[in-house]
Amino acid sequence: MNALLKKEMRLSAQLLTYLFIGFAFMTMLPGYPILCGVFFINLGIFQSFQSAREANDIVFSALLPVAKRDVVRGKYQFSVMIELCGFALMAILTLVRMTALSDAALYRRNALMNANPFYLGCALVVFGVFNLIFLGGFFRTAYSLGKPFITYIIVNFLLIGIAEALHHFPGMEALNAFGFDHIGLQLLTLLAGAMLYILLTVMSYNKACENFERIDL
Amino acid sequence: MNIVELADVCKTYPSFRLKEVSFSLEKGKITGFIGRNGAGKTTTIKSMLNLIHTDSGEISYFGVPLSGNEKEIKQRIGYSTGTVSWYPRKKISEIVEVTRSFYPDWDEAAYRKYLGLFGLDENKKPIELSEGMKVKFNLLLALSHKAEVLILDEPTSGLDPFSRDELLELFKTLKEHGVTIFFSTHITSDLERCADNIIYISDGKIKAACSKADFMHDQGGPGETLEEIFLRLEREVRS
Repeated sequence: MNALLKKEMRLSAQLLTYLFIGFAFMTMLPGYPILCGVFFINLGIFQSFQSAREANDIVFSALLPVAKRDVVRGKYQFSVMIELCGFALMAILTLVRMTALSDAALYRRNALMNANPFYLGCALVVFGVFNLIFLGGFFRTAYSLGKPFITYIIVNFLLIGIAEALHHFPGMEALNAFGFDHIGLQLLTLLAGAMLYILLTVMSYNKACENFERIDL
Repeated sequence: MNIVELADVCKTYPSFRLKEVSFSLEKGKITGFIGRNGAGKTTTIKSMLNLIHTDSGEISYFGVPLSGNEKEIKQRIGYSTGTVSWYPRKKISEIVEVTRSFYPDWDEAAYRKYLGLFGLDENKKPIELSEGMKVKFNLLLALSHKAEVLILDEPTSGLDPFSRDELLELFKTLKEHGVTIFFSTHITSDLERCADNIIYISDGKIKAACSKADFMHDQGGPGETLEEIFLRLEREVRS
């Protein structure tokens, strides 16, 4: 583990951030908009940013023998690590629902989004949007958390609403497939989600580095 | 030999301007950086640490520019402030454990020595430390990685006279080992005690950068102390 990630995990992170990874278990909730689990995982990351700000973490990090942009790298590495831990758990639980529980009446009666690769693709898009709006927004000032987080919340719930509504449109029912039905299309949506996640995160990271270089701490 | 050089460093804020700050620090010397509150001491120090984005000017350490060599340079310098506390609710031992992983040259023996000398308890948290002990903790981090240059922002603030005396004596010992010390202060007796050189800043502009003896000779009147000189110069600026 590199020193920056160690610093993030040992000094900057809040215990809540790790505990909130457990919101990935919302994947198993029947009759619930399960994408909300992503929001809570991101809320956990927000908690760490908040406590790090109170602890003068950014200035401490900038004084360490690292380039200024490495401070940004540490924060992104930590956030991506938490997101991917949450995503891995969601993927495992999705597999459980797609296999052992694919015929469970509890899930079959579900009018909301089903746990399938499309759901995982959407989750990655929401994580990517968090990185773009919240992480990128935070590094415009390196202290202001409220505005980027509120913006993220609004966009997050709009996205969840759209994702939940999509499979109700005629011709898009396959997005809410059970088990391994329409698996080709499902995997394509997951791949598209993964690509968007990478794109949004890289774009956000590059912009954050650029902004952070110009900030007065 | 100059180990740190600042050339025409400028920084403009809406209500303050750092004006073409230039000076150099000699290896193995103690340089006191004096000026009243708001004169530009902390802004200058932040520029030296790349914490703020300067408008223009050059800053170099060990003959290489800070820009582009930040990582390597920061391995060889140490910074301490008397006004900020890091991770107030983490144990000192935790903060140190993480910090040491950034420094291949971390000197555990020096760390243990100064930990004892400063009377710090590793199991305490910064929030449990007095202001003076916070200064010592920050200094402990700076001293434990064999820094060749120490940049200290008001290190004696909040220290009791005994601790201040200890700290100034420590500066002299470090100097004997070739460490270059640059410290800001508004306490003139600190300069009288240990500074070789004085840099005087007023209203964002360097007014003097020379040896203490030259400063006393050039700026002082007959029988004037450093404090009297400093007060008179400030009054002249204001009038």
